[in-house]
Amino acid sequence: MTDLANIAVSAMSQTPTKPRRRVSLGSPIAWIGLAVLILSWIAAVNLLNIPSYILPKPEAVVRALWSGLAVSPASPLGYYLPLWSTLSNAAAGCAIGVGLGLVIGSLMAEVEAIERLVMPYAFALQSLPKVAIAPLIVIWFGFGDGSKIAISALLSFFPVLINSFTGLRAVEPERIDLMRSLSASRFETYRIVKLPNAAPFIFAGLDMAVVYALLGAIVAEFLGAQRGMGVVITQAQAVSDVAGVFAALVILGVLGIVLHGIVRWCEAKVVHWGANRKK
Amino acid sequence: MLMMDVETAPRRVAPDDVLIAIDQVSKTYVSASGAVVHALSRISLDIKPGEFVCVVGPSGCGKSTLLRLLAGLDSYSEGRLLLDGEKVAGPSRKVGVVFQAANLLPWMTVRDNVGLPLRVGGKHAPAGDRIERLLTVTGLGDFGDKFPYELSGGMQQRAGICRALARDPEILLMDEPFGALDALTRERLNLELQRIWQENRKTILLITHSISEAIFLADRVVVMSARPGRILADLHVPIPRPRTFDDIVLHPDYARLAKEVRGLLNAQEHGHD
Repeated sequence: MTDLANIAVSAMSQTPTKPRRRVSLGSPIAWIGLAVLILSWIAAVNLLNIPSYILPKPEAVVRALWSGLAVSPASPLGYYLPLWSTLSNAAAGCAIGVGLGLVIGSLMAEVEAIERLVMPYAFALQSLPKVAIAPLIVIWFGFGDGSKIAISALLSFFPVLINSFTGLRAVEPERIDLMRSLSASRFETYRIVKLPNAAPFIFAGLDMAVVYALLGAIVAEFLGAQRGMGVVITQAQAVSDVAGVFAALVILGVLGIVLHGIVRWCEAKVVHWGANRKK
Repeated sequence: MLMMDVETAPRRVAPDDVLIAIDQVSKTYVSASGAVVHALSRISLDIKPGEFVCVVGPSGCGKSTLLRLLAGLDSYSEGRLLLDGEKVAGPSRKVGVVFQAANLLPWMTVRDNVGLPLRVGGKHAPAGDRIERLLTVTGLGDFGDKFPYELSGGMQQRAGICRALARDPEILLMDEPFGALDALTRERLNLELQRIWQENRKTILLITHSISEAIFLADRVVVMSARPGRILADLHVPIPRPRTFDDIVLHPDYARLAKEVRGLLNAQEHGHD
């Protein structure tokens, strides 16, 4: 028994402990790139005399940002109310799209008849520019939150559908053999083997889905809405407040990065076996 | 009629009875490219309870196919396959399978991997401390909470063996279980497998392409031909146990058997060149 334990310990010590994947704040090069971009922006507007209705001065954008952020969260002039409206609609749409994508993707992967039934339509719809359907959805769902949620759901549905389908089919045959040898039920095989196996694929789809959901909500707001970041942008555009448009875009850009970071963080927590999974 | 029923009914086998009966089994399948492949040709083999049988043969001779048939993972074209008197019609709870390269699920701890057979497939027998005992006996006692990627290849395959033993099956089917390991780890695991087998006397059918591994482990070494797989020889290994690698190479029967098996396999290779 003792030599067994020794074998175990020596075998263990030979195994290099691989570092866990971490969510980083980006490489230094990315930050240098940002600095260069802002510096050349400052240089461009000051040296080339570009009019402010085409490219506003960075300080004007910062001022616009400040006036939108340094107010009470309940102020109608701040970013918080429109941001909340856009985000909550995008989140609701994303939840619906992701949920449906996962369920239908799973059914397609599990039942060949459903795959044959749904696949042609899925591909046809996928190749259609879905933003082009947005006016139709506004007719169906009206100018309220419904159309925002519906367009967000539509846009976030496809990446999750395709990725979960692909991931569930990409399972190693040996793992299916294992479950078959244990007389596991179909649902046990799905839950214990296929779904974890597909998790990295599903998270890649989710990563796209959150950004698409935000895009969907903004596009819907462009088409007509009382509130939201899309409204903030169109209102600023209406009075040629280019700095205001820029400020809203900066907010949306930062939001996109934050959402991406959240998805990556969740992925690192869930798919903790990380790069070693192919072993 | 009544006699027939008694004859064909599942029964507990007597110690000298046959546990695995392979009777004129053939396997033919159509490959992805449309070619008809004769994987196995009229294989007959009887294995007694508690026997340790190793099957050696050239690559692609259908020895893994034979194991998959016994595991109930594939269907056979002709013949009869009986486990404990019952016709094989799918995976059986009497059988534990050890796969090539461990085949652990990377998202589960070692303990959860080993206990997996007790959580799926219905009929959940209370595990008690069985999993912990299995882990301890195979030197994995301190590694239950680790994930597979934190273990060496040898440790992973120990866990694979533990998992196959979780339901306490009568039969252990092992498909080149140590093929991916380095020579030293392989010998250690051979020794350990011998010890596990001596302690609980499972019936083991182990597929390998290592002649030394086959002779070291087996009561009988079955040599298979190149495709379509046939049985060329069924050799008894009369070397006393427990065997060690140091002693066995000095045993006259070891040299005789190794020479015979190597001769049979070489004849196959040359026949195909």
